Amino acid sequence: MGADWSAFEHRGPIRVEGGLRARSKRGSIGSSWWSRRFVDVLERVCDRGRLSRGRAYARQGQVLSIDLSPGLVEAAVQGSRPAPYEVTIRIEAYGEERWAAVEDALARQAVHRAKLLAGEMPPEIEDVFAELGTDLFPRDLDMRCSCPDWGVPCKHLSAVLYLLAESFDDDPFLVLAWRGRTRARLLGALAEEPEERDPLRVDDVPFAERLADFYAPGATAHRQERRASEAAPDLLPRVFPPPPAVADALTAAYRRLRDTP
Amino acid sequence: MLVHGVWTDEGLAFWAETPADQGSLPGARRHGEQPAPHPFAASATRVAAELRIDAASAPDVTAAPGFGAAAPPVPPEARQGAVLGFHRPTGQAVGRTLELLLPGSAREPLPSPETGLLPGVARPRLRRWQVPAVVPSASETLRLLAALTPSEAPQHRETGAGGSSGSGRDSHGTGAAGRAGTYRAVTATLRHWGAVAEFADGLVRRGRVIPQLVPFEHPAGPGDRPGMPGDPPDASGAGRRWAAVWRAVVTGGDAAYFRELALAMPPACRAYQAERPASDVLLEALDAFADALVRRALAGRPLMEEPRAREAAWTPEGRWLAALTGADPSCADVPRLREELESWRRTVLSAESAARVCFRLVEPAPEPVPFPEDVPQRDEGGWRVEVALRAADDPSLYVPAERVWTGEPVPGLPRRPERDLLAGLGRAARLYPELERALRVPHPTGLTLDTPGAYGFLRTAAPLLQAAGFGVQLPRWAGRTRLGLKLTTRTASRQGAATGQGFGLRELVDFRVDLAVGDAVISEAELAELARLKVPLVRVRGQWVELDERQLKAALRAVAGLRSGQASAAGILQEVVRGGDEELPLLEVDADGVLGDLLSGQAERRLAPIATPEGLDATLRPYQERGLAWLSFLSELGLGGVLADDMGLGKTVTTLALLVHERAAEPTLLVCPMSLVGNWQREAARFAPDLRVYVHHGQGRDASRVAGAELVITTYGTAQRDLETLRGFAWRRVVCDEAQAIKNSGTLQSRAVRSIPAGTRLALTGTPVENHLAELWSIMEFANPGMLGPRARFRTRFQEPIEARQDERAARELKRATGPFILRRVKTDKSVISDLPEKMEVKEWCPLTAEQATLYRAVVDDMLAKIDSSEGIERRGLVLSAMAKLKQVCNHPAHLLKDGSRLAGRSGKLTRLEQLAEEILAEGEKALVFTQYAEFGSMLQPYLAQRLERPVLWLHGGLPKKTRDRLVQRFQDDPEPMLFVLSLKAAGVGLNLTAANHVVHVDRWWNPAVEDQATDRAFRIGQRRNVQVRKLICAGTLEERVDAMIERKKALAERVVGTGEEWLTDLSTAELREVFRLTGEV
Repeated sequence: MGADWSAFEHRGPIRVEGGLRARSKRGSIGSSWWSRRFVDVLERVCDRGRLSRGRAYARQGQVLSIDLSPGLVEAAVQGSRPAPYEVTIRIEAYGEERWAAVEDALARQAVHRAKLLAGEMPPEIEDVFAELGTDLFPRDLDMRCSCPDWGVPCKHLSAVLYLLAESFDDDPFLVLAWRGRTRARLLGALAEEPEERDPLRVDDVPFAERLADFYAPGATAHRQERRASEAAPDLLPRVFPPPPAVADALTAAYRRLRDTP
Repeated sequence: MLVHGVWTDEGLAFWAETPADQGSLPGARRHGEQPAPHPFAASATRVAAELRIDAASAPDVTAAPGFGAAAPPVPPEARQGAVLGFHRPTGQAVGRTLELLLPGSAREPLPSPETGLLPGVARPRLRRWQVPAVVPSASETLRLLAALTPSEAPQHRETGAGGSSGSGRDSHGTGAAGRAGTYRAVTATLRHWGAVAEFADGLVRRGRVIPQLVPFEHPAGPGDRPGMPGDPPDASGAGRRWAAVWRAVVTGGDAAYFRELALAMPPACRAYQAERPASDVLLEALDAFADALVRRALAGRPLMEEPRAREAAWTPEGRWLAALTGADPSCADVPRLREELESWRRTVLSAESAARVCFRLVEPAPEPVPFPEDVPQRDEGGWRVEVALRAADDPSLYVPAERVWTGEPVPGLPRRPERDLLAGLGRAARLYPELERALRVPHPTGLTLDTPGAYGFLRTAAPLLQAAGFGVQLPRWAGRTRLGLKLTTRTASRQGAATGQGFGLRELVDFRVDLAVGDAVISEAELAELARLKVPLVRVRGQWVELDERQLKAALRAVAGLRSGQASAAGILQEVVRGGDEELPLLEVDADGVLGDLLSGQAERRLAPIATPEGLDATLRPYQERGLAWLSFLSELGLGGVLADDMGLGKTVTTLALLVHERAAEPTLLVCPMSLVGNWQREAARFAPDLRVYVHHGQGRDASRVAGAELVITTYGTAQRDLETLRGFAWRRVVCDEAQAIKNSGTLQSRAVRSIPAGTRLALTGTPVENHLAELWSIMEFANPGMLGPRARFRTRFQEPIEARQDERAARELKRATGPFILRRVKTDKSVISDLPEKMEVKEWCPLTAEQATLYRAVVDDMLAKIDSSEGIERRGLVLSAMAKLKQVCNHPAHLLKDGSRLAGRSGKLTRLEQLAEEILAEGEKALVFTQYAEFGSMLQPYLAQRLERPVLWLHGGLPKKTRDRLVQRFQDDPEPMLFVLSLKAAGVGLNLTAANHVVHVDRWWNPAVEDQATDRAFRIGQRRNVQVRKLICAGTLEERVDAMIERKKALAERVVGTGEEWLTDLSTAELREVFRLTGEV
């Protein structure tokens, strides 16, 4: 088996088109505190060398899919064999009772709902779990891969873990979903998207009624009043953080917009 | 040539009508509903030349074979540009033949109003027309549109001595002229696109853009474009390409303006191929413009450097970032990034919900324990920031968080307001982390702060939150009350201005300067205590004051130098106008006596009015008597003044009253635009018949006559030409009428009138000076040279803070500095309105230009010869025709010639109409403009719309009822100041146009009944303001003489002339010659 494995390895993994690719910037995961916490977990179970090999692997796009459900992450990774390897990572999913207690505690401070609704994981949430004697972030991971490598985690697992950390960066609710609570369940009615309305829509006067003044303005567009304070051009990315992978470059670009010639 | 803009799938396309060709070419032959070539559209090559798009940079235009015939197939590269907001290498314009949906007959489309032609088609229908056009690149388009923005246009207003002076007016009327490389927007469609481009520019400057990764169709497979190094093969299949683009983010107030722009968009802007929804077209255009503007802003500074050799290839995100700058937006798809970007955009757009979170800073309740009065108190707490929700579309619906948490539904707020409240608080906490403290409870309602915390909120958080779209309410004193100086003066003789005789500016007064906070004086000890506390927010005598380090230091320095003593009134005046300095402004002035009256800016109300002087053939209204007293008061002090009353309040008669009242030994020199010389002359003759008036103007002017005159009238142009001569006289005063003419202090005209020595000076202006600060400085510099200090200081001290930041404090300080010298009453002042009649009728005499005079004489000679040799019905017909022709000459040469030539600068009447319209619009009001000639109305409307940059509606007999109703409704309901040009025949009766409080009769029907009926469109039930009616009359022409005859006859029997012009046909040829003859100055 060992010989087989080294033969496969020699050939290298089968190249994949359209796999899940890791982000560009070197070592850019952990830009938010919650994904940094997950990286801490990773570094406990997996030394740096393996993790960086996993990242390189992920960059090549070898991870075909990742599915997350309560307690379970399942992924398919293309290795050197024709059939992709199956990767599973399990943590404890909390039951109804425990979640009810967590929700109760979360409701006691508006900061949790406010930040979650604004797309952020409130740092205080860890304390809430701690007070209830549980953890939000897993201390340990039950990881398996169908590959013949006996090192744990293997590079396939490492690649999946790496991508998982990136996903947490983008969507704080994934951590909670893994523990068994989706965003919709957690926020209840608050998670409903506000009713759709298009603030830019107007009722046009049909051309048929505008034949006599076809070239004329139909109404007055009142000149915009001058802005009281000159808004900093980077307010948008400050209030609504861009995707982490490109955040720094974009925020810098916004700041330069005021110098428009 | 009239250039229009229409949005296409490749970007903004420019096409043009050539009105001269209209009707002269064979109409279109179309087969059924097949599109036919537009018969009077210019070729794409000519459009490019008109726009001055460099021919070399528009190779497709010149090279395209058979251009303008069949539509050439759109090359793939161009299609690619389409979706992406027409990215093409800079400068490269492409020629196209567009299919536009335009109204017209089967033979030809209706001409646009800018052609000045009346539509000749009774029942137009929408049909498809093939129109040659040019589509420049996005950057080129923005450059073209930037040349049309309003910020530039008002500078072109005629200020000088009218058209005949030969001063260089450029021919905006034809649109061909303009500065090199720019193009003036003559058409409403281009003006609209100019506004769209300006909107996009504002969005980009404020960072209201968001980058996206979007697909676009590309028929050719990948690989036809020079790839970048490390370009991976396109993973997502052939035919689909991807691009990095910037899109506009339009929310809140921007969305409101967006809707207005969409509603205003002329149909012709969105008639490409089909009737397209205005919102769609506008959004596409905004996105395209915003993308090009961002690329321009980031030019040369890519977001992602190209990977250095040997290192890893471009990462997909890197490729996308790199494609966000530069000319080429294409990149590879990165599905995950694309989805993240889309969800980011959704978050940004949906955050704009129906309610927004507001923060209100509430100061602590007043101290319950009484502290010693004079010790400033340090306050440790008790500040509160209250949280509330406010409906986006109804700012008056303000719901405190407490109420939101009750869970009761609030009408007008979204269904789950607590969601909006929480999400808003979560976002606000990113800008103002302190807020998190308030969120430790289940139902936050606010945040308590200590005093430094409150100061931090005021200074740092509030502006940031406000800029990010949150509502912020601060206490009234915020940004207002601060440390400054108080000046107290006392005169020895306690005389009020009412008996101000003998008071002179050289008189000595006692003065004292104190430190003050708001209106309270503080002692040196108190200041020391403030400095010791070292807090930026302190309560002094119950009033909160923001103190910054800089100010405190300046105050400590100033304490040492605080003075008291004696100074001349002139010195004090200068000190008050100077207004302290940046750190320690002069907050309060307490002066008594005459000086107090002057400094208060209320002298007009405190002075004893001067009754109508002997020798003035008019009765002054009470506010005019007060105005006269004010003018006289300033004159006696040797100070210059600015009389800036609303138009119609009688600045002319008040000025004449001053001269009659004074009867000074030296003459007054009055400088005015050419168009007003005749008016002044006639008003002087009417109201002050004994005043010796000499008009120093024209060929026969003779300066030796100045000596015998009391009033010398001249034009700005002549004053400049004869400067040396005029400087040689001793003038009692120099008066500038329409002082806007000297608004630019650097011009030769301004310098000329300023350099004429005079005892005192007076500026008359009808435009609200407080809205044009640069102008205000120039006018003050004329009236009181040096008083406001150097222009540069004025700009940093007042103009920039007020114009850029709406700094109220600077505005108040400016008002105090200029108040003593400016008298401005508006029609709606309580002290004025009761003195005004409900309807005022004024005649305005306008000069003819040299061209008009020549034409006029030629018509008179020609027609009199014909009339002389005819009789009976033929003679009657000739007389009426002569009348009509002469009236047309008086209106405008182009009206008689009907040659579509330019309008600007060729008619004294039109120049006067423009001046009047500008003043009316500047006062925020609306006017009806009547003409009896529909063809003249068709010329006026587009011209005035372009010159005034306000809506100008045009109602004539050719409009369907629905359109008329819409125009009338818009005029009545839209708060925007605007003009309504009406054909006397089409609009004389029936319409209710009470939104107007001005009526201008451009030409005369000479039937008072008909004119009054038209006037009554505005002056009827529902009119709450007084109505000003103006009749324009060309001086020295038949208009003036027929008017005089009517006035005479009217006195005898109104009925006699009630029949219009018919009675004129009975006059003998000799009598007619008398009526027609051109007399007097031209």
